[in-house]
Amino acid sequence: MQTPAQKERPKVPPEFDALPIWKMSAQQLVAMVKDPKSTVFQKAIACKRLSIIGGREAVQPMAALLSHPQLACYARFGLEPIPDPSVDDALRAALPKLTGKLQIGVIHSIGFRKDARALNALSKLIHDSDPQVAGAAAAAVGMIGGLQAGKILQAALKSTQPPVFPVAARACLLCAESLMAANRARALELYTELSEKSMPEPVRLAALRVLNAAGPAPAYANRWPAPTGAAADADTSGFLGKRPK
Amino acid sequence: MAEADKKVTRRGFGKAVAGAAAAAPSLAPGPAKAQAPAPAKPAQPPAGPIVRAYSGMVDQITFGGIGIGGRGMYDLRQLLGDDRVRFVAIADIRESARENVKSYVDRHYKNNECKMYRDPAELLERKDIDALLITTSDRWHGPMAIWAAQAGKDMFVEKPGAMSIMESYALADNVRRYGIVYQSGAQRKNQFAFEFAVGLARSGKLGRLLAVHADTAIGLGTVDEGGHSWWPEEQPEPDPLVFDWDKWLGPCLWRPYNSWYPNGGRGQFWDFHAGLLEWASHTVAMAQWAADMEHTEPIEYEPEGGEFRGDGLIQRYTIHCRYTNGVRLILRNHSWMGLGSCSSRFEGTEGWVETGDSGNIEVSPNLKSLVPTRLGRRYDPTNEHIREFLQSIRSRIPPRANADVTAHTHIASHAAWISAQLNRKLTWDPAKRMFIGDEEANRMRSRAYREPWRLEALATTM
Repeated sequence: MQTPAQKERPKVPPEFDALPIWKMSAQQLVAMVKDPKSTVFQKAIACKRLSIIGGREAVQPMAALLSHPQLACYARFGLEPIPDPSVDDALRAALPKLTGKLQIGVIHSIGFRKDARALNALSKLIHDSDPQVAGAAAAAVGMIGGLQAGKILQAALKSTQPPVFPVAARACLLCAESLMAANRARALELYTELSEKSMPEPVRLAALRVLNAAGPAPAYANRWPAPTGAAADADTSGFLGKRPK
Repeated sequence: MAEADKKVTRRGFGKAVAGAAAAAPSLAPGPAKAQAPAPAKPAQPPAGPIVRAYSGMVDQITFGGIGIGGRGMYDLRQLLGDDRVRFVAIADIRESARENVKSYVDRHYKNNECKMYRDPAELLERKDIDALLITTSDRWHGPMAIWAAQAGKDMFVEKPGAMSIMESYALADNVRRYGIVYQSGAQRKNQFAFEFAVGLARSGKLGRLLAVHADTAIGLGTVDEGGHSWWPEEQPEPDPLVFDWDKWLGPCLWRPYNSWYPNGGRGQFWDFHAGLLEWASHTVAMAQWAADMEHTEPIEYEPEGGEFRGDGLIQRYTIHCRYTNGVRLILRNHSWMGLGSCSSRFEGTEGWVETGDSGNIEVSPNLKSLVPTRLGRRYDPTNEHIREFLQSIRSRIPPRANADVTAHTHIASHAAWISAQLNRKLTWDPAKRMFIGDEEANRMRSRAYREPWRLEALATTM
């Protein structure tokens, strides 16, 4: 059903006015998130504000919302930027308790925060029966980066099928990039594998460009036959002319 | 048809060159003159008729479109006017928009071949599509461009290109990583009056550069109640086949449906708005270009005056920024000379220049002899801007509004907006990609995507 288009600016409903919540202290916001009587709107705006001013005390109350279909995104919005490591603990703890979209959200937040302690759990999820979950796990491993991530993704390139395989290839590309400064030899190994013809074309071309710039070039081999017939008569010294007879 | 006369697509061209050296002469480019980037034309007449471009070495580029509405239709019209372009598909979550574009394209080609998709992912999977026109609403520009880059597509993307500092980095990183040609819709980079003003600054004719000024208009309209995070009354969601609300929201935070959002209201909400970038996408880009600072950002941001509140900024404001070399970038929405929207002003020790969308140029008295006499004609340079993009697809040389330049413009603008929201001076470290000594500001560099969307392949450390 298509609702008739509302062209006029609606009035702010008092129950959906964010400004009073925006002015609260972090302590008041945490209390609002915890309070079972708070509405979805109140909890949502409280999480949004806590993303800027929330500390360790805000982590568990927001993590409790990670299984809520509407508020999970607000909880992750609030949690992701908080630097306290308790956020990583909370996200890792939530990971096995969730499924589908909500689990994908948490996987992404883990990747965004580059939590290397989640690599083992993520490496198992790369083989999850839900390809969306598996793809999210591969992408998160790529964002975390590092040597262990490189090994996990290299293995995933051999063990996954589309639609997870192209995501694993992109993640491996990202991982190789993150290794370039610290471990160039290992990075070039990954790039070399990604330049194989079995890889998705955008990934393969990206890897080839890096290898071309990294040098040294492969030993020269006269791989391409010289032109014959009409092409051999083309005058290469001028523009599209024929060699004078 | 003779073999040499057959049209060659960009991908086909690549295969031909790789596979058969003998074919090369028949694909040789035209005279050098014809290959050179088209010079920017001074003062074209108002948009009106489409400028016909010429065909060259790669004479057909297969295009698809994503989310084409009002402004997008204008871009599409210019695109279809170029002989090199073959537009074959449209993806949109709005049934009416899909059908509108298909009808327009089919009428243009006099056939019924433009394919429609509800899900952009299906369009991205098509290997025959070389390039994309992406003109969705703001919140989708960044994610869509990143996925398009990962699918190996070149793209023309309307501005603003990214909703946060981290998304700006992700955009530039992905475009670089996948070797993509990206042009943002900052078409004033191909408009004579702005090019002239930038040229004065970059040539040294203004003396030592002191300050570049950018008209950022207003950040969040004139919302005056409830901040920018309130929810209008919930209404029943439409049929997803007609209007897919979940996909319309995309990576933004969930909120209940109200028909006002897609009918002009979205710009009033922080969730759907890129802050200063509505105009800064143009004017800060111009200022960074004039200051030769396109590959970095200012290191200091300080709001002055204005009235700041909640999660947005309103009314009259000035934000003072400073580059490492001491040059100032000044963002303001007041006190311009009345030369039209998107005004830009550059000041040096030996003179100044100011211009805007009117096409008029004002300079200090000592520079008057340099100003061309035929001025004051307002025109839309989109066709020039799109033509530059098409040239870049062939040459692989980045166009003027490429992803790197776009990202730095956006990072500067987002950083300024964050300083305004916090209403305090901030110091930015471009190398570390973070504010120095201000945790709250650093937390505002990103916006978490709603599940299941993900900002894949962000190489940056938070």
